[in-house]
Amino acid sequence: MIALGGKMIPCYTVQRNLACIQRTVGGVRWTSSCRPAPLLTASPVRALIDDKISIRGHFLPPRCPVTVCAQMQSDDGDLWEAFAHFNTNSDGTVNLTRDPSVGGSYLGCEPMGLLWGLQPAPGAREGLRQAEKKKVETPYVMLMSLLKGHVSPSERPSTELAAVTAERWYMAPGVRRIEIRQNGVVGTLFLPPGPGPFPAMLDLWGMGGGLVEYRSALFASRGYASFSLAYIGHKDLPGPQNLINVGDPYYKSAFQLLQDHPQVYPDRIGIIGLSFGVYLALRLASHSGIKPSCLICINGPAGSTIKLADADGRTEQTENDQKYWTYDDQGNVSFRAVSLPANLSPESKVKLEHLTCPLMYIVGEDDLSASSVENANLIEETLSAAGKSQLLTRLSYPGAGHLIEPPYTPNSRASLWSVKPQKLVTLWGGHLAPHAAAQEDSWKKILEFMETNLRH
Amino acid sequence: MSMKPLCVKLSVQPSRGLVDEKFTVLVQNLLPGFQLTVHALHQCEDGHSWEAFAHYTTDATGTVNVSQDPSLDGTYSGVEPMGLLWSLRPVPGSKSGLRMRKMNVQTPMVVTISVYQGHQMEGFLDRVSLASVVVERWYMAPGVRRVPITDGKLTATLFLPSGAGPFPGLLDLWGGGGKLVEYRAALLASHGIASMALDYLTPQITKETGKMVDNDYFETAYRVLEQHPQILGSRIAMLGLSFGTSVTLRMAVYSQDVKLSCAVCISGSHVQPIGGSVEQILAYFNRNADKTRFDENNQVIWRDLLLPIPTDPSLKVDMGRLQCPLLLVVGEDDQNWPAHECAMDMKEMMERAGNSHLLTVLSYKNAGHLIEPPFMPFARASTFKTVTNPPTKVMALWGGELVAHSRAQEDAWRKMLVFLRENLYGGMKHGASFSNL
Repeated sequence: MIALGGKMIPCYTVQRNLACIQRTVGGVRWTSSCRPAPLLTASPVRALIDDKISIRGHFLPPRCPVTVCAQMQSDDGDLWEAFAHFNTNSDGTVNLTRDPSVGGSYLGCEPMGLLWGLQPAPGAREGLRQAEKKKVETPYVMLMSLLKGHVSPSERPSTELAAVTAERWYMAPGVRRIEIRQNGVVGTLFLPPGPGPFPAMLDLWGMGGGLVEYRSALFASRGYASFSLAYIGHKDLPGPQNLINVGDPYYKSAFQLLQDHPQVYPDRIGIIGLSFGVYLALRLASHSGIKPSCLICINGPAGSTIKLADADGRTEQTENDQKYWTYDDQGNVSFRAVSLPANLSPESKVKLEHLTCPLMYIVGEDDLSASSVENANLIEETLSAAGKSQLLTRLSYPGAGHLIEPPYTPNSRASLWSVKPQKLVTLWGGHLAPHAAAQEDSWKKILEFMETNLRH
Repeated sequence: MSMKPLCVKLSVQPSRGLVDEKFTVLVQNLLPGFQLTVHALHQCEDGHSWEAFAHYTTDATGTVNVSQDPSLDGTYSGVEPMGLLWSLRPVPGSKSGLRMRKMNVQTPMVVTISVYQGHQMEGFLDRVSLASVVVERWYMAPGVRRVPITDGKLTATLFLPSGAGPFPGLLDLWGGGGKLVEYRAALLASHGIASMALDYLTPQITKETGKMVDNDYFETAYRVLEQHPQILGSRIAMLGLSFGTSVTLRMAVYSQDVKLSCAVCISGSHVQPIGGSVEQILAYFNRNADKTRFDENNQVIWRDLLLPIPTDPSLKVDMGRLQCPLLLVVGEDDQNWPAHECAMDMKEMMERAGNSHLLTVLSYKNAGHLIEPPFMPFARASTFKTVTNPPTKVMALWGGELVAHSRAQEDAWRKMLVFLRENLYGGMKHGASFSNL
């Protein structure tokens, strides 16, 4: 630090100027007491999405304001940003595992805050959902920079002191991605490296449709064969894309496909479902004669939110549930009431008394898209009445919203749901820090639950 | 009671890392006292397969931790966290004289680590492993930029660290085999030093004109670094191995244009005709070619060509005139150059001249000539093609013993990085440590 008329200022400028003097003096070696140029490190610099990374700044003046900034570009080209303000330690370092943020995208000591705190950068398209990675074979490239003072990212690059690039992967090296279009089943299978055989998971998402691969890719990176299954809104599925045109036989085929795979243990297969995928998972485990080793259900209903067209579970037009939609003052829609137990079609309510395997139900208490608390209660009561409450593990997270996903990825409270017939932004719920904490804790517990039920 | 299938868990952390990063190999979920073999397999760029393996027995918790447990036998023994990499050797049936060098640094080195039941010695590819993990080893950290350089008629590649800079710079020279070898410069850039790998024996200009380059070629390379907008012109170092040392010492001591913050010389010598061109220096070595020896396997020993170290001052770089810090790294079993003897002579010259405070010597017992970044497989001898016209292919004896040489590489690399950081970034702040960087 340099005292200038009584005011203490950090000596970055002086250090740079001294470096310039060196140029003119030439061959004389400069043995000064100035510190080396600041350095920003991220370790490990290439990691899986659910790995923690240690972000540290070194060789800074002591007790000085600095900003650490993270930037990431999604597959669609949208820029996401996060930043945090710190004061360096007396030894001139900043360590995100040890130091609290005093301002920015998050507050307090949050080692992974720069990752889950990523928000669409100013000027981005509106209503972006958490950066949903479509191409799981490439990493997210994160540019982290260390800036002078307490600034916001738009004030770079003039004050950039150091930078590091980190890669965040959904697929560990050697994990294989296999597109499945077999027996009418549409999905993507991820296999861990090695000969196997492996325990496996069937991975189901919600009414957003399509094929969501990233959670399966992570399971494979953790040693489980995992199969992401499409059931609505995919071009390779039969019928209009806004309806579910597949029924029980389809899901049974998918499960059978896993059982028949030479690298999968046929009696060590679990099912994970989020949102409407919860209903499908529960239905599959209770009605269809399939015996999964365990079930993981996140924020979803115990019955169908859509009137069933036939006994097999195919659905009618989905506009009927609009009467349960509610709107906030910005015109954002919440689907929450659609899945209230009272509003579920009675004949679709899953007969949970037939459940024979352990079930983990994860609730985001601020879920604005599904009535998760009420459905969790319903499941708990039903199992208890059947004398099967020991099968249930219930995890409940205050302040968490609907999309409880793998950790350390950004989450949004609302995002664009549809453009036609009208532009709709839907509310997921959840507040930034508690939702991120829920993702971190639930993911750990999900992997432990899988370890217990699929490996031993 | 039915046999539960073994759900052995194999993990390697990190599974993607830089080539000089350590990893932890953990085998779990087995019965206590279980005999197993951990195996590493790598197919290098020219298609040859390399393997390493070690025998372990699980502890009371059914676990093997390669970083903590001793290998009982295999391509290495004892507790060796990185033995699976540095003890890699060509699989049985391979050609002799192979040396592993990665020429394309933009892709990782891929190694498959597997666990086999029992203590196996061979035939791994015909067995089914219990589990396997694929590991990537990178020379380039994410964000490092690779920039081919052709200005000034140079044949070179510059690697820039990620970020805006400015960064200190480094000129990276290999030895008598020529070619543009990029991996060390890429790795140094991954550590924050903008590094330029320079081909000075077989560059494009020599191929076109038939003439060898001289001082101005190196001065041009230095200038490219000095004038680069993202490089601190006042903080440039030079690193040379083998014949690269000859060039580095020459530039450091005699060049008017090249002003180095520091220099690192590996397995080289200060013996050369002063004022001679690169071509003349090579000719001087060749004049002593009759001192070439052969060992019992007909492998070429060239260390005697520079011995005895001349007393004539016109045949040695005047080390007393050196003005920048110098780190000398030598292997005492170097059969290719008399590096250790030269280091001792350089030390004596500098002590007499009063500038020995600039000198640090790292001398490793039983290490050979090719002291490279750590964890790379060791070759005591390999085929070597000279850059003469016409070229001759020999089996050169580099020297060194597997374990000692591998330890030397690890130690030397760590100390080189500290040396470079200290000298390229200015004095070290009290209390700051590099150990965790």
